[in-house]
Amino acid sequence: MSGYMRPDEAASALAGIREQQKQVIDAVLVPAWYWWAVAAGMVVIGAAADTRRVAVLAAAIPAAVIIIAALTLAMILGTYRRAQVRSAELLGDRGALLIVGFVWLVVGLTLGIGFGLRAAGAPAPATIATAIGGAALAAGGPALMRRLRTIMLSNRAGSRR
Amino acid sequence: VTAGRFDELIHAPTRLAIVSLLAAVEWADFKFIRDEAGLSDSALSKQLTTLENAGYLEIRKAFVGKRPRTSARLTRAGRHAFELHVAALQEIVARSGAGHGLR
Repeated sequence: MSGYMRPDEAASALAGIREQQKQVIDAVLVPAWYWWAVAAGMVVIGAAADTRRVAVLAAAIPAAVIIIAALTLAMILGTYRRAQVRSAELLGDRGALLIVGFVWLVVGLTLGIGFGLRAAGAPAPATIATAIGGAALAAGGPALMRRLRTIMLSNRAGSRR
Repeated sequence: VTAGRFDELIHAPTRLAIVSLLAAVEWADFKFIRDEAGLSDSALSKQLTTLENAGYLEIRKAFVGKRPRTSARLTRAGRHAFELHVAALQEIVARSGAGHGLR
């Protein structure tokens, strides 16, 4: 059959393969709502820390941590039940470095701003720092996913020749 | 550069969709494959069995609680055959000078 296959048919089959794999990769990427939810949780923790009231700290911080952890677990398990992506091959070293770098960037930014504002005597340093860190997370998370998507598509089976 | 090998079994449209999907994952749930490939339960079962009989696919059946759960993954032979098939398609396109690839 291959001897009789027209180039446009082969190109169409390749386009179909590409589309199918795009769908799979899109299905396993972290959704945008997750970054906003974690960002909101961060701000709750920051605002609670600024109140310096034991009752607020005791209630708000564990609640925010539990909600973030539950959302993370639900998202991971939800994806894992459907399919387990070939992350080591698809992400590669570049993808793994991007993820680690992004986490460190957000944590470093949040802590740096928080401690800096506190040293400067600014009001509500933790709230401001977590709001900025949360904004970086909410804006950077989807951007990170777009970059990872590009990397995964370029590393998928059959794309390396 | 990988020398391509056109695979008649993989090239059938529904099987190509299934194998393309599975090539991107370690394994996938039956419902996930069904929904992503846009197939009915019976059509997917038939194609999975064909691919399994060819040694391209491994089907796992397990229970999560009391609910049966079926998942599938490409075997090493299946993954290799898919890569060679993609290479064969790319060669056909390249020979024509059309310049389309999987990228």
